[in-house]
Amino acid sequence: MFRILKKSLKTGVVTGRHPEAKQPAERPASESREKAAPFKKSLAIREVDTGSCNACEMEMNALTNPVYDIERFGIHIAASPRHADALVVTGPVTVNMEHPLKDVYKQTPDPKLVIALGDCAINCGVFKGSYAVTGPVDRHIPVDVRIPGCPPRPAEILKALSELREAER
Amino acid sequence: MANAVQAAELLRQEFAAVVLEATVAQGAPLLRVKSDQVPLIAHYLHTKPELRGSLSLLWAVDHRPRESRYELCYLFTLAERKDWLLLCTDLQGEDRIFKSLTPHIHAAKWYEREIRDLFGLIPVGHPDMRRLVRHEHWPKGAHPLKKDFGWNTILERAQGMYAFRHIEGEGVFEVPVGPIHAGIIEPGHFRFSVAGEPIMQLEVRHFWKHRGVEKLFEQRPLLEGAPLAERISGDTTVGHSLAYCQAVESLLRITVPRRARYLRSFFLELERLHNHLGDVGAICNDTAYALAHAHCSRMKERMMQLNDRLTGSRFLRGVNCVGGVGIDLTGEQLAQTVAELDSFEPDFTELEKILFANASLTDRLETTGILTDRTAWDHAVMGVVGRASGVDRDIRRDHPFAAYDELQPKVALYRYGDVRARMRVRMDEIHESMRLIREVRRRIPQGPVVAQPTGEPTPGTWALSAVEGWRGEILYFVMAGENGKIHRCKVRDPSFVNWPAIQWAVLGNIIPDFPLINKSFNLSYAGNDL
Repeated sequence: MFRILKKSLKTGVVTGRHPEAKQPAERPASESREKAAPFKKSLAIREVDTGSCNACEMEMNALTNPVYDIERFGIHIAASPRHADALVVTGPVTVNMEHPLKDVYKQTPDPKLVIALGDCAINCGVFKGSYAVTGPVDRHIPVDVRIPGCPPRPAEILKALSELREAER
Repeated sequence: MANAVQAAELLRQEFAAVVLEATVAQGAPLLRVKSDQVPLIAHYLHTKPELRGSLSLLWAVDHRPRESRYELCYLFTLAERKDWLLLCTDLQGEDRIFKSLTPHIHAAKWYEREIRDLFGLIPVGHPDMRRLVRHEHWPKGAHPLKKDFGWNTILERAQGMYAFRHIEGEGVFEVPVGPIHAGIIEPGHFRFSVAGEPIMQLEVRHFWKHRGVEKLFEQRPLLEGAPLAERISGDTTVGHSLAYCQAVESLLRITVPRRARYLRSFFLELERLHNHLGDVGAICNDTAYALAHAHCSRMKERMMQLNDRLTGSRFLRGVNCVGGVGIDLTGEQLAQTVAELDSFEPDFTELEKILFANASLTDRLETTGILTDRTAWDHAVMGVVGRASGVDRDIRRDHPFAAYDELQPKVALYRYGDVRARMRVRMDEIHESMRLIREVRRRIPQGPVVAQPTGEPTPGTWALSAVEGWRGEILYFVMAGENGKIHRCKVRDPSFVNWPAIQWAVLGNIIPDFPLINKSFNLSYAGNDL
């Protein structure tokens, strides 16, 4: 017990100890910000991988670590699409994942946001054209927000999400 | 104990009538045999006490348009000296049938189903002829790795149902999980048959993420394959790109500068560090030990920020290129890394003490998800999972690459095969990685970091390359095609071998322990599905 307390005291607070993210290339469109208005104070995210290389998943996981601690912004990861306000989709949509993706979209209650995370979800990246890839996410379901990068850094994801939920200036 | 050359000689004497040709390729003896006799020889090789060859890789090559034949190659690793031995066989002309090895060697199971799906070659006598890569909605006759199948074909949708294995009886029910899971993980389907809590059967159904990577390689020039290799499994960026680059270098006969070899070991160990840290935390998290998870993910983040500072990528993207490394580090950067590790190691050691002193954690980890050494041997399990079940194999030591011939890594080995053993292998390897990184810094020579490739390889020549990634052995087979392109690139992530084994490790455990066992394996879905 003493050891655990000592460790926690020695470690201190690490939240926020990360390099600043660069300003995203484009601000989210005003329609998607309008759509995000109900989720200003809390946003439940369901992550769906449709064929990524798992680097984007690792960065999403990193958001929940003590350094980024995404919950302090009222964002949490839901275990089921039925509990989610937003779907974060990573990877090009493979032939085998096309139906599961559409199912998940249907299962998510309205109003909902779809966030395409990473280059593959936006334009298929290096997997473009393959027989096993059906296309980017927006070919199958409407996408509201795009966060480019291969993979985007956690700080960049965080920035994009907070810009999306900021009040209209 | 026999080395590979003696073993090949032994086989040639035993099977004089069926061995057509004996040569040496890539430093390993190669026997070309009649296709219907492969199971006979392979069985002998697998079971003979002084050979005990375990199947490391099985792949097919479509030689069209140059020659009208398919080639099947079987790579064996001999148990004692870890030497390689290759068996090859040809299917001429219209021949589409080969004898299945699976009734004799369990490890061939998925390889043969994969070959059937991707090449349309039929393993006669295979006990499980269901589709593996091609899900049921794929049209009949679509075999993507055949040379007459266009890489950008648009597949039609057919109808079909996958037949799961069922256990029937009073009180037995099935629990389907996936393909989309509750956590932030990749898609895969698990079907449990349970009676009460204990698992009676688990069936893993994967390949949801099949992206056609091997076909995409065939569209690329040899020199431009590394970015694709990096994206096969994002967490093994360095491992995969290194294995690919090594294969191409041996095709083009490039000698990699010594400094580049050291840097490659350096980056590979950095990758091992952050992934193992994440795994230790994730295992603790699945026992609801959130504190340990928080510490581990904090440390992992620290390592990834270090990667970012050193190379501009948290995943060490763009580090390897054909001929060497794309990023040179200054002496100052190396010193900073070592300084960072010096402050990091006591941090981790303290956490280790906390973990080992926690009785309830130990209670959850010990005797959970035991993979016996016998099962591990049967499935040719490797890497972290293998070393926790007494499989003493590590490519860094057995077939040294990069700078490992000079660094001499120590191999962590445990025999219990439970979750705790797998966690301990990772913890030991974390310390060993830190030692190796310090060693690299001490020994690294000055000089160039990249050798320019010259000339083009002869079409039809090939190379094998092996890298011990953080999960285990990554194998690449690369065959050169016309105009500097790739004719065939076989990629084998350790996950492909270890996934079937998890079906045996969970038996008798309760479903709530499955996530824990799965995390202790931590296999890649992307690397498996390709």
